[in-house]
Order: sequence, then structure tokens, then C-alpha cells
Amino acid sequence: MAVSGNYYFAIVGHQDNPMFEMEFVPTNKEPKKEDHRHLNQFIAHAALDLVDESMWTTTSMYLRLVDKFNEWYVSAFVTAGRIRLICLHDVKNDDGIKNFFMEMYETYIKHSMNPFYVPNSPIKSAAFEKKALFYGRKYLTG
Amino acid sequence: MAEEAVFDLVHMEAVSYVFQGEKISEDEAVAKLEHMGFATGYRLVERLTRESGRFKDELDIMKYICKDLWVTVYKKQIDNLRTNHQGVYVLHDNRFRFLSRMAAGKQYLQYAPRYLAFTCGLVRGCLANLGITCVVTAEVTQLPACKFQIQVQRG
Repeated sequence: MAVSGNYYFAIVGHQDNPMFEMEFVPTNKEPKKEDHRHLNQFIAHAALDLVDESMWTTTSMYLRLVDKFNEWYVSAFVTAGRIRLICLHDVKNDDGIKNFFMEMYETYIKHSMNPFYVPNSPIKSAAFEKKALFYGRKYLTG
Repeated sequence: MAEEAVFDLVHMEAVSYVFQGEKISEDEAVAKLEHMGFATGYRLVERLTRESGRFKDELDIMKYICKDLWVTVYKKQIDNLRTNHQGVYVLHDNRFRFLSRMAAGKQYLQYAPRYLAFTCGLVRGCLANLGITCVVTAEVTQLPACKFQIQVQRG
């Protein structure tokens, strides 16, 4: 039985701005304390430098593990358009995270084709959030 | 085959639309077309690079523009790519799609830039989203051949 962990997912734009953030907690656990959310943002932001470094070493989009902070692992996925998808997790789940990234990438592309969406701006679509929740449950928390 | 005509016709209409009105200057209208191309290219490249993966370096990106992008948008490849390896790239197209419907030769030379503005913007938008800031200009000496010059802004 796989250990289900906590996940924090963020999409970062060209100006290191967060365009989308979402947390996934296992359904059987209680909600976490509020202050962990700031820590997640901090860890993700700090990992961006490492993502930018490893971006040049490979042509594949999935960068696997780029950083580790205390008990949090950071995995990253970079698109050709330099949009970075970051995932903080406390359990190793390479396959699940890779699938989740691929699905979120597809969802992002579809969303970017919307004429009312300004590129690099925060994503506020309810449909996008629903999709993120759905794929998160499917590939991450189970 | 019919769907190729859709893009040709929409582009033709876009060009004649921005030139409507007596007080509109050539520069203003061309700038509008270029901006349209920029916004299109910026979003388009996110969608098109889904399968092609990420790029190693600038030259890789230029080759992508000449091959994959040109084939997807204009149904043919760029005929010749030249560079001075210092940030200047020249793309030669011997039979540019939007100019191929006009008489070959020099008859419509003065109007040719209007039909190139959108493409200049398209290339600039694609490169901008891929992380390259540049200036794209076009030159025509004899229809339907044309040259696009890309100057990468560095530093």
C-alpha cells in the first residue's frame, strides 16, 4: 500500500510569479496548520534557482528531483515556453508526479488558448482548478 | 486543401481592415498587424511545442522556426537560413505563401510589406515566449521571394 503524502503544486511564470497554486493532502488526514503554506511558497521559490540551472543540462521537460529541504522533495517540469511547474512532496512518487505534470501541462495549454487569458497572469478559472483537483486525486493522493 | 484558403483569406481581410479609414498612416497599420502577429505567435508556440520538447540553444530554436513552425503555418519549410553566429539570422523564403497570390516581379513591391507584417510579429512572438527577445524585419526585392531578418537583442 503506497504511502500517501502531502503535495504542493505551483505553476511559475516568466517573472518568477506564481500563476497557480494548489495543495493536496491525503483524504484521511486532518487539515494541516495554516503556517505551512508560507513555508511551501518559500521552498518552491528557493528551488527556482536550481530549476533554472538544471534546465540547461537536459532537453527533456521533466526534470525529476531538483532540490530537497528538510523533509520536502522538490520536483520540476519545464515547458518549451519556459513555464515552470513545481511540485513539493514528502514521499517519492516519480511516476505519479510525472503523469500529473503531463496532465497539468495539457490543461495549461488548453487554458492558454483562451483569448481572455493574458499569458503570465494568475489563473483564476474554476474549470482549471477542478481539473487540477481531479488529476491531483488521481495521480498524487489516490 | 480547402482549409489552407481560410487562413489566407482571414489574413487578407486583416490587412485590408487595418488599412481602412483615410487618416490611418502606413506605419500605424503595419504596427497593428505586427502586434496581432506577436500575440498570435506568443500563444501559438506554447501549443505547438507540446510534442517537440525543449531546445538546446538559440540555433536549435531557429531551426525549429524554419522547419516545424513554417511547415505548420505556411505548409512549407524556409528555403535558406543564414547566420553570422552573433545574433543575426536571415530566413529566405523563395515563395512566401501570402505573396504567392500576387503577380511575380516588381509590380506590387510597395504593398508587399503589408503582407509581411503579421508574419514578422508571429516570429517575434514565438521567439519571445521561447525566451529570445529580438527584432524581426522583412525585405522583398522580387515577389514572391522574401527575406526575414531576426536580430537577437542581447545583454
